[in-house]
Amino acid sequence: MKAGFYPKMAVSGMRKNGRLYMPYLITCILMVAVFYIVHFLGFSDVMDGMMGVTTAKQMLGFGVYVIAIFAAIFLFYTQSTLIKGRKKEFGLYSILGMNKRNIGKILFWESVVNWAVSLGLGLLAGIGLSKLAELGFTRMIEAKADYSFKVSGGSIVASVILFSAIFFLIYLNSVRQIRFANPTQLITAGKAGEKPPKSNWVLGIIGLLSMGAGYIIAIKIKEPISALMLFFVAVILVIIGTYFLLIAGSVILCRLLQKNKGYYYKTNHFVSVSSMAYRMKRNGAGLASICILITMVLVTLSSTSALYAGKEQTLEARYPQEIDAYMSNFGFDEELSQHTERMSRIIRNTTEENGAEMKNIRSYSAYSISGYLDNDVLETDINMVNGFQLIDYDKIVALEIFDVDEFNRAFGFNEKVEPGKMLIGTAKKIHIGDELTIGDHTFEISGRIDDKISAIDPSAAGSPIIMLFVVVDDVQSLAREFEGLPGNENGRMVSWSWYMQFDSGLDSDGQIALADKINTAMTDELQGKGYTLYYCESREAERDDFVSTFGGLFFLGILLSLIFLVSCVVIIYYKQISEGLEDQSRFSIMQKVGMTGKEIKNSINSQMITVFMIPVIVAGIHLLVVLPVVDKLLTLFGLFNMNLLLVCAGICVVICGVFYAVIYKVTSNAYYKIVS
Amino acid sequence: MSLLEARNIRKVYKTRFGGASVEALKNVSFTVEKGEYVAIMGESGSGKTTLLNIIAALDKATEGTVILDGMDLTKVKDKDVAKFRRDNLGYVFQDFNLLDTFSLEDNIYLPLVLAGKKHAEMKQRLDGIAGTLGIAELLKKYPYEVSGGQKQRAAVARALITNPRMILADEPTGALDSKSSDELLALFKKVNQMGQTVLMVTHSTKAASNASRVLFIKDGTIFHQIYKGQATDQQMYQSISDTLTLLAQGGDQ
Repeated sequence: MKAGFYPKMAVSGMRKNGRLYMPYLITCILMVAVFYIVHFLGFSDVMDGMMGVTTAKQMLGFGVYVIAIFAAIFLFYTQSTLIKGRKKEFGLYSILGMNKRNIGKILFWESVVNWAVSLGLGLLAGIGLSKLAELGFTRMIEAKADYSFKVSGGSIVASVILFSAIFFLIYLNSVRQIRFANPTQLITAGKAGEKPPKSNWVLGIIGLLSMGAGYIIAIKIKEPISALMLFFVAVILVIIGTYFLLIAGSVILCRLLQKNKGYYYKTNHFVSVSSMAYRMKRNGAGLASICILITMVLVTLSSTSALYAGKEQTLEARYPQEIDAYMSNFGFDEELSQHTERMSRIIRNTTEENGAEMKNIRSYSAYSISGYLDNDVLETDINMVNGFQLIDYDKIVALEIFDVDEFNRAFGFNEKVEPGKMLIGTAKKIHIGDELTIGDHTFEISGRIDDKISAIDPSAAGSPIIMLFVVVDDVQSLAREFEGLPGNENGRMVSWSWYMQFDSGLDSDGQIALADKINTAMTDELQGKGYTLYYCESREAERDDFVSTFGGLFFLGILLSLIFLVSCVVIIYYKQISEGLEDQSRFSIMQKVGMTGKEIKNSINSQMITVFMIPVIVAGIHLLVVLPVVDKLLTLFGLFNMNLLLVCAGICVVICGVFYAVIYKVTSNAYYKIVS
Repeated sequence: MSLLEARNIRKVYKTRFGGASVEALKNVSFTVEKGEYVAIMGESGSGKTTLLNIIAALDKATEGTVILDGMDLTKVKDKDVAKFRRDNLGYVFQDFNLLDTFSLEDNIYLPLVLAGKKHAEMKQRLDGIAGTLGIAELLKKYPYEVSGGQKQRAAVARALITNPRMILADEPTGALDSKSSDELLALFKKVNQMGQTVLMVTHSTKAASNASRVLFIKDGTIFHQIYKGQATDQQMYQSISDTLTLLAQGGDQ
């Protein structure tokens, strides 16, 4: 046989199926390009040496894996739908005398062409756009980029290896699909009469229960720490629920509508409802995928953009003052006040040596003890708690105990508390009764200080643990007694912390330098004396880290969203094409039977809009349910601004909505072109 | 006045880029009286399906007029054509053209639903004809579950249910085995005896021999016609065969 026959067959086959292959190729190219860019930014040394780039690079490094896995799954899925559509063609080849080896060769060359075009153009696009991405990325993390253009050999190799592997797997899969079919099967594939969709109540009910359970978990989550643990459970339940409900529930709904004769036998409903049942049977999974992808995009974009937009707030909440010194240790300390006074002096001296003046000082110490709070009793021995469940993490509390004099001095309040009583406050939504029992002590709660907490610790509302702020008459003697509580075998149940926060009046570099000096001084003083933790940080030094983290997250969020959205477009496009081909003959029959062009158009429109709107509406509901959980998760990053999150989510919804509407317009044009 | 009157119909197809044009119908004129059962015969490519499509307003004639019960089809506006067809004509196709997403019952209801009829009325009408057509037991089934003959009977029911002025059938036995064909032809005869006008295009001699009149079409013109009169199906079959032989030999009228 003439040389080059198979490659030629492969190319002409792909060209003839251009309507199907173009979107696939474009997706492949885009995946390669994005993979290269993320790998380039995340793993190459192009950005090394920039300030605060490390965390952001870690984010992107993580993103590389997400993209690789998603690309593999998605391209695999798309290719297998493509091959299904071409079975007839291969059946024809085999009737014309080609054996499966020959067809395998055509498929092989197709894969080679695919591989070469995707990697070639994808890498070209990736390299071409990498500088742009680098500039965008560095701007987002507020680092300085230089203007040299770099190409990373390592990233090229990684892209080639990954996508060669993916294309090889795809090739094997298409050979498998062709191999296990005889020519007549191939030719008649897709023509066999299709059973009418049946109401699958079992699947529908499982879907409903699963979705409901996911929603309930999401709604019940009150605390960030349980959000972290239960979020994925809820997500998986909701994903299962979405698939089952869209696959089975939609058919059930159509079937019920068909049973209602008065509704069903109306010009507007008759054709729509019956073909919707078929459509949903075939496309339920596709719609569910679209729905999940849209939800993912919305959640990713709104959370990362909220974090990015709120980074200054987060920083301010975490570091209310420019300089933040801290030390802590386990156990009761008889000489706590001496320790803290000495440390204050050291910090003051260091600051003055550096020509700065301490302003807005907030300095205080507090004891803390944690336990399981139930029915106004704090159980300090966790082994004593029965029936402890995951959701009960909401009952684990940490008491931050202040001496009333220290409390008033440090924060400028004028509270009074009698022996045996306490003032208590929390930024969390938990129930506190009129008294609190710790060990043998039952304290009468003589007042609430909930409104003063933001002055004490602005980040308390978002701390992963539930903090209870308690003011007592004599904290030293109380701490001594608490040491004897059950559960303190290792001596680590009671601990104290000391904080010193102040402004220096120095410029950014000065603040960073000062914090370093203080840190050194603290280390000199405390090293080797058995303290658990001590440090001095400056807000300015942490700013880079914050910006880098949130900028990196947002950048990754945008790239991932881009990939998800494009995948969404491809799924929708293929859905429209395949439906168009199926509906073609159907609508010509209807026309012959006496349906006017206008009626057909109306019927198509109403079906298309329904099919298009279902994923968006469901995604919208998902988003509404999940946003409060996302808000709680964001508090773990230190962002306490539900309004900001809502605004960001709103903007993302609008942007995605516009994007989706454009997709709708474009793909429905492809559909109309086929049908008419 | 005749129920259907076709006058000087001419149909020219142009290739897409305005190249050579093909004259599918040259100058066709004929009439169909109310209650008649007319068959149009001719070989593949003789223009008979084109003619039927023009009569059914599925296609437009290049020249000439078609008048159905006093209405000029060529004057019906494009947007009203589908409604006109739905209200006045019942069409039976060679390949059934049943929708696979509908049960047979719903397929039959389709034109009535489009006309906005109430379910009770539709059911009443279907009950009236389902027995005659022998599909009463099959109504809940889907097209892929029943045989070709059963599908075609459902298609006839769909054509009849609107009480059309005329039934148009395009090779209705073309996709059926001989037994189903016989059953379907018997059905057409029965429907015709009940007063329904039928116009059928076919190249099956047997199918045509059922009709009360046969028109022969060749190269785009009406070549000949035979009236059945009092003749039996067998005699009709014979004279059709003779005519076809004559046609094949290229003889003139």
